[in-house]
Amino acid sequence: MLEARGLRKSFGALEATRDVSLALPEGARHAVVGPNGSGKTTLFNLLTGELRPDEGQVFLAGKDITALPPNARARAGLTRSFQKNNLFLDLTVRENLALALAIGERAGTVFWRRFERVPGLLARAEALAERVRLADVLGIPVRALPYGTQRQLEVGLALGIEPKVLLLDEPTAGMSAEETRAMTSLIAGLPREIAVLVIEHDMEVVFEIAERVTVLDYGRILAEGTPQEVRATEAVRRRYLGERAQ
Amino acid sequence: MIGDEDFRRHCVAAALLSAAILALVLSGYAGRDRLAEIAILAIFAMSLDVLVGFTGLVSLGHALFYGLGAYAMAAFATMLKLPAGLAIPLAVLVAALAAFLVGILAIRVRGVFFIMITLAFGQMGWAYFQRSRTFGGIGGISGIGQPDLDAIGLSLANPADMALIAVVAAALVYLALARVTASPFGRMLVAIHQNESRARALGLPVQSYKLAAFTLAGAVAGLAGVLAAERTNFVSPDLLVWTVSGEVLIMVIVGGLGTLVGPALGATIWVLLRDNLSALTPYWMLAMGLFFVAVVLFADEGLYGLTARIPWPKRRRPSDA
Repeated sequence: MLEARGLRKSFGALEATRDVSLALPEGARHAVVGPNGSGKTTLFNLLTGELRPDEGQVFLAGKDITALPPNARARAGLTRSFQKNNLFLDLTVRENLALALAIGERAGTVFWRRFERVPGLLARAEALAERVRLADVLGIPVRALPYGTQRQLEVGLALGIEPKVLLLDEPTAGMSAEETRAMTSLIAGLPREIAVLVIEHDMEVVFEIAERVTVLDYGRILAEGTPQEVRATEAVRRRYLGERAQ
Repeated sequence: MIGDEDFRRHCVAAALLSAAILALVLSGYAGRDRLAEIAILAIFAMSLDVLVGFTGLVSLGHALFYGLGAYAMAAFATMLKLPAGLAIPLAVLVAALAAFLVGILAIRVRGVFFIMITLAFGQMGWAYFQRSRTFGGIGGISGIGQPDLDAIGLSLANPADMALIAVVAAALVYLALARVTASPFGRMLVAIHQNESRARALGLPVQSYKLAAFTLAGAVAGLAGVLAAERTNFVSPDLLVWTVSGEVLIMVIVGGLGTLVGPALGATIWVLLRDNLSALTPYWMLAMGLFFVAVVLFADEGLYGLTARIPWPKRRRPSDA
């Protein structure tokens, strides 16, 4: 569904991404792990189009999307959540989700009907809120929500455009243990039509949701395989998992 | 929900319209002329609100489209001798087209650079009309002539009729823009204002929407310019000078960003203060400045925000959780 071939990206003398290739089949559950500065977020930015690679290509459903900007990639079915909450802060949860749905449906060309009266829009926003467990806070402005709840909305917005591929950038960052559990089960419960690529620091979360793991180190792939294979790799144990794996 | 605001907005708009009708009936020659000016500036300010308040694009060159509308109207009427029924829509079209072309370049940049590029285009327009012999240079064009409205018993040479038409136009512009900004299209503009990068990440072609907003704002500003030309029967480069862009921006901010009726309120207060204070003291601009500083500092959401302190009846919505 999503494939990256030989991606390279340098910022001056810093090689942030070195020859990274990645393939996500339909319904994949794939995690990218690695220490801070190993190039995970750069890789995400290359995949979503916020950055252009110096070399290499990105394919979505067999089509070369390397030259497409982020909005065109999103329209083609590839979107992301952000490491730092990136929401419509002054709007309510309902409005946030309805906006994402409306963008996904390209409803913005309608300019003479009220937004709330677009048939089914609010009902679908509420159904989406159920999926990401935000049904209780629909009418609350996002700014007033606790951090963990905002993280759920992060995922909710991305789901709103019914993506084929969903990239989650540290979905549990900064969450309490309880919030992390809730988020993990939310991700685990995503429909199998969606291929999911997740950057995650919490190895417990990775082992729970991922079926394949790519380990990045200094911008290059150190290891790739099933969680068990990766855990067993000596290089990974030394370099990244450290004491936690022993 | 943003929509809940609509009720309060429409109430304030209805109050403003009632005040305008009252002024139309009660005031004399000068008062009616002033009313026409207020209504025209209200249209101009509402058009800028689409850009600044809704889309988050702060333009300091909006007078360009106001002036272009006025000049186009004058040129069509005096040089091409077009009937008003044709000249007015064509003049609005000229302003829209200019906004589209300027917008293509302007929306490539953001923030302070957007302010600078719109300012630059505005000043280019002003400089052109100052020098252009075709359009009368500094002297502008006078004697535009007023459309024959005898059929409906009105004459634009009569301030009462001019004021009536301007107020009706302002009311229609308010209704149309309220409708458009509450639509999915309008909500996309709000989304861009709130978080452009997220809107883009979700697949919104942000640039197209910005361009559409810029063009719409330019067209409505052009309509205000057409009416301004009709009101004074005269156009000059003064319509396009950058302080005009600055003043209308102040009306929008002081009135209340993203509320439509707020900028109309801002235009009203602007004209009333200007005329009444300047009669009292040569330091009237200083007094006006102090007033606007106070509004920006102490009134959240500008003058419109003050109306939030009125206990409006709650309208129940079944969809609210």
